[in-house]
Amino acid sequence: MMCAPAEPRPLAQHASHHPATLGPVSLYVHVPFCVLKCAYCDFHSQPFCDVSPEEPEHFAWAVGEAARHWAALGVLDDVLSLYVGGGTPTTLGDGLTGSIADLCAIANMRPGAEITVETNPDTSSPELAARLHASGVTRFSVGVQSFDGADLRVLGRCHDAQAAERAVRELVATGARVALDLMCGVPGQSLASWQATLERAVATGAGHVSVYPLTVEEATPLAHHVATGALPEPDPDAAAEMMERADEVLADAGLARYEIASYAREGEQCVHNLGYWTGRPYIGLGPSASSMVPVAAFRAAAASESWADPSVVGVGRVIVDVPADAARVRFTHAADTVAFIRTATGAPEEVEYLTAEEALREDVVLGLRLAEGVAADLAERAGVVDALLRLEQQALVERAGGRWRLTRRGWLLGNEVFAEVW
Amino acid sequence: MSDPTHIRNFSIIAHIDHGKSTLADRILELTHTVADRDMVEQVLDSMDIERERGITIKAQAVRVLYEAADGETYQLNLIDTPGHVDFTYEVSRSLQACEGVILVVDAAQGVEAQTVANAMMAMNADLEIIPLINKIDLPAAEPERVRHEIEEGLAIPADEAVLASGKTGEGVREVLEAVIRRVPHPVGDAAAPLKALIFDSYFDAYRGVVALIRVIDGTVGANMKVRMMATDVVTDVEEVGVRRPANTPVEELTVGEVGYLITGLKDPALVKVGDTVTLARHGATEPLPGYREVKPMVYTGLYPIDGDQYPDLRDALDKLQLNDPALVYDPESSHALGFGFRVGFLGLLHMEVIKERLEREFDLDLLATAPSVEYHVYTTKGEKVIVHSPQDMPEPGHIERVEEPYLKATVLVPPDYVGQVMELAEGRRSTFKDMQYLSATTVEMHYETPLSELIMDFFDQLKSRTRGYASLDYEYIGYRPSNLVKLDILLAGKPVDALSFIVHREKAYARGKVLTEKLREIIPRQMFEVPIQAAIGGKILARETVRAKRKDVLAKCYGGDITRKRKLIEKQKKGKKRMKSVGNVDVPQDAFMAILKVDE
Ligand SMILES: Nc1nc2c(ncn2[C@@H]2O[C@H](COP(=O)(O)OP(=O)(O)O)[C@@H](O)[C@H]2O)c(=O)[nH]1
Ligand code: SF4
Ligand SMILES: [Mg+2]
Repeated sequence: MMCAPAEPRPLAQHASHHPATLGPVSLYVHVPFCVLKCAYCDFHSQPFCDVSPEEPEHFAWAVGEAARHWAALGVLDDVLSLYVGGGTPTTLGDGLTGSIADLCAIANMRPGAEITVETNPDTSSPELAARLHASGVTRFSVGVQSFDGADLRVLGRCHDAQAAERAVRELVATGARVALDLMCGVPGQSLASWQATLERAVATGAGHVSVYPLTVEEATPLAHHVATGALPEPDPDAAAEMMERADEVLADAGLARYEIASYAREGEQCVHNLGYWTGRPYIGLGPSASSMVPVAAFRAAAASESWADPSVVGVGRVIVDVPADAARVRFTHAADTVAFIRTATGAPEEVEYLTAEEALREDVVLGLRLAEGVAADLAERAGVVDALLRLEQQALVERAGGRWRLTRRGWLLGNEVFAEVW
Repeated sequence: MSDPTHIRNFSIIAHIDHGKSTLADRILELTHTVADRDMVEQVLDSMDIERERGITIKAQAVRVLYEAADGETYQLNLIDTPGHVDFTYEVSRSLQACEGVILVVDAAQGVEAQTVANAMMAMNADLEIIPLINKIDLPAAEPERVRHEIEEGLAIPADEAVLASGKTGEGVREVLEAVIRRVPHPVGDAAAPLKALIFDSYFDAYRGVVALIRVIDGTVGANMKVRMMATDVVTDVEEVGVRRPANTPVEELTVGEVGYLITGLKDPALVKVGDTVTLARHGATEPLPGYREVKPMVYTGLYPIDGDQYPDLRDALDKLQLNDPALVYDPESSHALGFGFRVGFLGLLHMEVIKERLEREFDLDLLATAPSVEYHVYTTKGEKVIVHSPQDMPEPGHIERVEEPYLKATVLVPPDYVGQVMELAEGRRSTFKDMQYLSATTVEMHYETPLSELIMDFFDQLKSRTRGYASLDYEYIGYRPSNLVKLDILLAGKPVDALSFIVHREKAYARGKVLTEKLREIIPRQMFEVPIQAAIGGKILARETVRAKRKDVLAKCYGGDITRKRKLIEKQKKGKKRMKSVGNVDVPQDAFMAILKVDE
């Protein structure tokens, strides 16, 4: 089934609700299933073996319901990107193709919209990849993490280096764009093996690479191994060196860094992720997924019947009482899959209100993650120029061409910058 | 009911955790002093900090009425006392209000160091001692061995020792009968002018100073005019009463009775513990002996983290000092920490307790510097300088000699651990004096030890090296010359006064090295490299470096992460605020105490 961008819907249909200033939005779907849990993972996902057989189907239905709810409010009238992440969406197999097609029918996808599906080497097959591509998926993001067997074992991944390499090449062969995730600072990882991983990543032909230093999250098996001394604690200095090495190797291969963790060939930057760093509204569907919209869109949703109906909402409901000075709202749905299925069209579980000023500061913080940085006038409107000047003195940010951006040192010490500005 | 022959005043004394407070609970129950529904464990430990730590810090007086086997009803005034060595003076004060004691000894632990120390105090005060072997319900109880230890080690006849359990209540009636039979009733002259000893006091926000008194001669009641003999103030009595354990007013207190006295005086300094209360007119001419002044043993700098709290800290110290005469303080200032106080304590537990009470009861945020003892420095000009803080140490060139306080330390330990104790003591500049067997299972060892060594986690080390079996008691013996030097700690090249300390010259190198290492672990990485140095008068002994922070960035930041990451950064910011900024180095509070945790 081909997912052709739907005909633009007549806007008048939603005139009563439509928040005039919404503009283009991004759509995210969180698929909370994986084959097995990785040792470092604290994302919301369940190993597939623990999931009841009907749950994926109910989940897909709930996502559709939630999407319809937002579409009815006019929030999905101009969708620039769809990102199906997780978890591991490809655990849904062929069902995934149908779900994506449904979403494309519900939302008003802009012609040429970016549609990304996350996948892992252990759930990827050439057949599934081809079918997804044929049904409109333009981009695959693969959790490779490393091309070194020892790293993969420390990380508790379900695949070896060969499988990862094969999977990436198969995905590249579909003609879709391909992105890889890599991890540095893994206990035991050497600079040489990291370099080899980077080179193998480049050799696959993938046009996008993300580089994350490993963080030890509480209550994960990795945390336990570190606490008991079975594994050494990740060394932040080693990770720093590896991040700089990634910058060099990837730049040489034509993948330019465009964000703290993201590298891409010209034209292959992730449209969806760029949205997060430039203040574009997004709607997240699925357990623990977050959405961010201007307050008008949130008020429209809050006025909807299903947010008010306690039988739809079930547990953990936040009674929506919007502060007068709110300009932007971020909210998150139930983290539990079963709870999400029950409450998909209900009020969110957690809500965060930002004033206009807070929203501007957040735009600066997130914008500074980008290589291009933020426009000087945005910084001025956000009232953070003094902070930036202080940071400039510490050589963490610099000014160029009417914009503020991180320095090479600032790339590694981003938190110092964000703490000053936020 | 105030016939002195029907009054018995006694304290419950013991080594810590042998069950004094629990026994007091049982006595309160047996005598229906506290209604069943109000009964909690260790009911007399009323401070939050006592309840949390399960220890008694303040002695507590309570009156109970007991119907004895002879059919008569007796008024018992019992005082539950603390067992920790830091609070020995609380015990000694309580004893002066009594004619007898119940000496509680744990049937499994046997005689320990504070058992000996407290028993000695009771003997010196000529009090009747009733030994009670407690916790006989424990499977590990060995009452016969303990009976033997009491007789051999303390020279107290124990054939009549009461076997009891504060848990089951067994033996409680029996010990009260023994109190009635053996503890002498108070004697005094009801017709003589009032003489009452203030053995404790506290501040009540509504009533002012409340004094706890023991009447020796005469009678005191509301509306009388009384005089505090030492401070020579005259005031009206607003109320007298007894503690059951809540304050309960009575018309008067007479010979032998224990109770409280409220005068409306609001100034703590006017109502001194140890003073004698008498009548304003035709009063007594000779005060009671009073108390030997307690002298602080250790001194530490206490600084408000927020400089604006300095006046609040002073008020809080004033209030706490009221019923804690062992607490002394003087203003002090530090380049690194600003304005604070140099505060003297009886020991480290006392220090911890006071700091915690200041923080909780007065809502202060405090930073404490490493404790120091009182050094006597004799200068080349022939002056004697009292030094409570390393900052006050004269220049090395001006020092003729330094003297430091020594203690006689008594350690009680099973014979198997004698070697471990010796090893520890040797490393702490201690001189072995003698040892003797109290019983086949307990050895008493005596050392002469500099106090400054004892306050460096000596007790923790002793406990851990003897698997918890050793107990320690000490008393001050005097000042002795020592080869002491001031060790400076420099952060980023600048000496930090609040981190300097005084140490024996031979240990300076080792301590400096371990301390710089410890500080390297404690001080977080900053945006620039921070050298940490230990030096004596400009000569560097040890150096460590906190490397500059290279990476601190949240690499992953997509939709759902944003809120979480912002919270994380806010948390980091808060953590930074709680640190002290010294120069431009952020120093966590622990750093100022690091020297205590250094065992080379
Ligand atoms: N098994 C047993 N435990 C007891 C007995 N008396 C006290 N304890 C426990 O011993 C600990 C110390 O008791 P506490 O009364 O606070 O001792 P204090 O420090 O002497 O006042 C507490 O945990 C009590 O519950 C007893 O007779 N038998
Ligand atoms: S594949 Fe990704 S989401 Fe799934 S367990 Fe591993 S790290 Fe977590
Ligand atoms: Mg007690």
